[in-house]
Amino acid sequence: MERGEGGAKGTGGPLAAGVRSLRVAELQLPAVSVLPPWRIPPLPVPRVLRFPLAGAEPGVSTIPLLDIPPAVASYRFPRPTTAAPAPVRPTLAPAPAQPPAEAPSATPATKRPFGTRIAPPGDVVRMEERLWFLLQPDLETLLRSCRLGFPRQPFPFQLEGMAFLLPRHGAVLADEMGLGKSMQAISSIRLLIHSGEGRRVLVVCPKGLVSNWVRELADWAPEIPVAVIEGEPQRRAWQWSLAEVPVRIANYESVVRDRELIAGLNEPFDLVVLDEAQRIKNGSSQTAQAVRAIRRRRSWALTGTPVENSADDLVGLFEFVAPGHLDERMSPRQLGIAAADHVLRRTKDKVLKDLPPRMNRDERIELTPEQRETYRLAEEEGVLRLADMGRAATIRHVFELVLRLKQICNFDTATGESAKLDCLKSDLEEVQASGRKALVFSQWVETLGKLEKELVPFGAIQYHGGMSTTTRDEAIVRFKNDRRHSVLLLSYGAGAVGLNLQFSQYVFLFDRWWNPAIEDQAVNRAHRIGAAGAVTVTRYLAANTIEERIDEVLRKKRDLSELILSQADSGEARTGLTVEELFSLFKLPVPVKAAA
Amino acid sequence: MRDPVDNGGVGPTFGFLTTVDSPTHGLFGGYLVVDATGRPLEFHCTTPVKVSRAQQILYGATLPGHLHGRQIGASLLAEASMPPVAVLTDSESLLHVRAHTPLPVGLVGLPGAAASQPTIDDAHVSLGGVTVCLPPGAGEAIIGQLEELAGAVDLNEPFARIRAAIEEAQRH
Repeated sequence: MERGEGGAKGTGGPLAAGVRSLRVAELQLPAVSVLPPWRIPPLPVPRVLRFPLAGAEPGVSTIPLLDIPPAVASYRFPRPTTAAPAPVRPTLAPAPAQPPAEAPSATPATKRPFGTRIAPPGDVVRMEERLWFLLQPDLETLLRSCRLGFPRQPFPFQLEGMAFLLPRHGAVLADEMGLGKSMQAISSIRLLIHSGEGRRVLVVCPKGLVSNWVRELADWAPEIPVAVIEGEPQRRAWQWSLAEVPVRIANYESVVRDRELIAGLNEPFDLVVLDEAQRIKNGSSQTAQAVRAIRRRRSWALTGTPVENSADDLVGLFEFVAPGHLDERMSPRQLGIAAADHVLRRTKDKVLKDLPPRMNRDERIELTPEQRETYRLAEEEGVLRLADMGRAATIRHVFELVLRLKQICNFDTATGESAKLDCLKSDLEEVQASGRKALVFSQWVETLGKLEKELVPFGAIQYHGGMSTTTRDEAIVRFKNDRRHSVLLLSYGAGAVGLNLQFSQYVFLFDRWWNPAIEDQAVNRAHRIGAAGAVTVTRYLAANTIEERIDEVLRKKRDLSELILSQADSGEARTGLTVEELFSLFKLPVPVKAAA
Repeated sequence: MRDPVDNGGVGPTFGFLTTVDSPTHGLFGGYLVVDATGRPLEFHCTTPVKVSRAQQILYGATLPGHLHGRQIGASLLAEASMPPVAVLTDSESLLHVRAHTPLPVGLVGLPGAAASQPTIDDAHVSLGGVTVCLPPGAGEAIIGQLEELAGAVDLNEPFARIRAAIEEAQRH
């Protein structure tokens, strides 16, 4: 302690008297290490707090006011010049107005609580044209403003059909048979005429349906004058040139015959309507070429079977409706998509919930022993002959054999026996007893003749293409109004299309057609709007014969047209029988020549 | 009573004014002029107006009057070339356009629903089964012409057309 104190003093402090001062070195003190000055932590620099004085300015955020009005796009439409409006495509002057330049939005379609709206067709691209359609009153309002009444209130789907046809220049109304395609077309024609858009309309239909169209026009458009193109060439030439008749009706044969006359007409038709338009499915046929050559502004096709045999049928139809729109190289799915905006098809089960049911009944009939023997001999002989012919066998030879066998299934060519007839008589007794009416279809007029003789007790009447139009019309009237006539015997060719026989509750297919679509057409003469009750369809099939084999093939292919129309993809493209299928009915290979 | 208007021989015309509120884009306005049978003569529609939250707060209760009445309603009516007998709307907010036009502007109620009374002076008139609130200035002649229109067209129906047209315009 003392040393320490002395040491401390000797280093510089004042000394007391007599005390010797020692230097540090003399003390011989041990070395002491001290920290280097750079290791000593610096003193913290004090923070300077600044307090703002008055005078500093705050930041300013400006909220824009709603001062600039939005841009307005304007559309002005042609002023209606007639008392009766129709939503047909207007002639619009170029408009400078532009739609609002905003990003598209996927607004869900609003439910329409009002009437039937007329939507713009897909090929209308100009905004003002599309808006013109959308801004029209609904169809019911248009009809009210025209003061056009209907003899019967149309079904909502029929108004939708009119709303589909009216704005379209090319349209296929492909409703299932019995849904009133004619009525929808006539009512649309009527609106076109009243709006001044249809001054010259031509309806082309099968010969047997001309009188039907005359009746329907008188019913649904009584105020419209109609001329039927018929008679001698001079008379027809005069009829074609008539200016004051807005609607002409011609059959397909007349159109082919008078194609030069039609080509020489001064003005094009405002509208050409084809009924049973499947007639022009084969684009190279004379009928198709003659119809396509008619100069026209609008082309509407009515058919219950737009795809009757193959997808190509639709292509053929479109060569009239919208030339070049479809291509045979397209797949069924591509065809469906490309055709979608031009085709409207509804089926009874979708739109007519209240339509009485159709009951199908396949009657498998055993041939009589004599019939069976005749059949066996004919088949064996025919197949042997085909086999002997080898490469020389053609599709025609197979067809001939099929037809011969089918005829034997109807009536034994040797004895005249018929198991089907026996069955039919039995069924008809029940029909007659209940006071109902029946339709019997066959593909042969000869068969119809035999049936008429055998079915005298049922008052059977014939209806086929070999009869004159007048005789056929009389037959329908008698069958409809005379209770003694319970049975109408029809050929598929003449009786499957256009007739309204909904007062019949029974349909018998005495033999089967090659194509189920034709059979459906036949059945739908009875099973259609106005049918009073369930319709029973009996299809006779001779057991263990060619009929069963054909039925089996066709059943597998029945739904093709629906597949195309619903835009489904399908590798299958036919509903009728192919060459391969015909040969396979007899387990024969297809000769190269026939296949080609 | 207003003087008969000259519409170039079309006869009396009627305006239908409404708005469509799009959650994505904002508020569109549409104005359709039709003839006495309901056929379209003119159509005008606005670009959408989107109001920010700050604007909503700032404008407060005056927003509907400014937005619907002045911004949209007045802009649309100014573009029309055919002066109508009356303008009908299905939106109470659009009645604010009355401050910007001399035309009588009426409010169409939903069928069967009791129409609200925008001002104490408005008159309730039943036209074709639809109640319409008309301003006091709408005389018998105007009501008579509206009655004729209501005989041809459901007075609520043209608003559906305008909405469909605005949807179409948005898509393109």
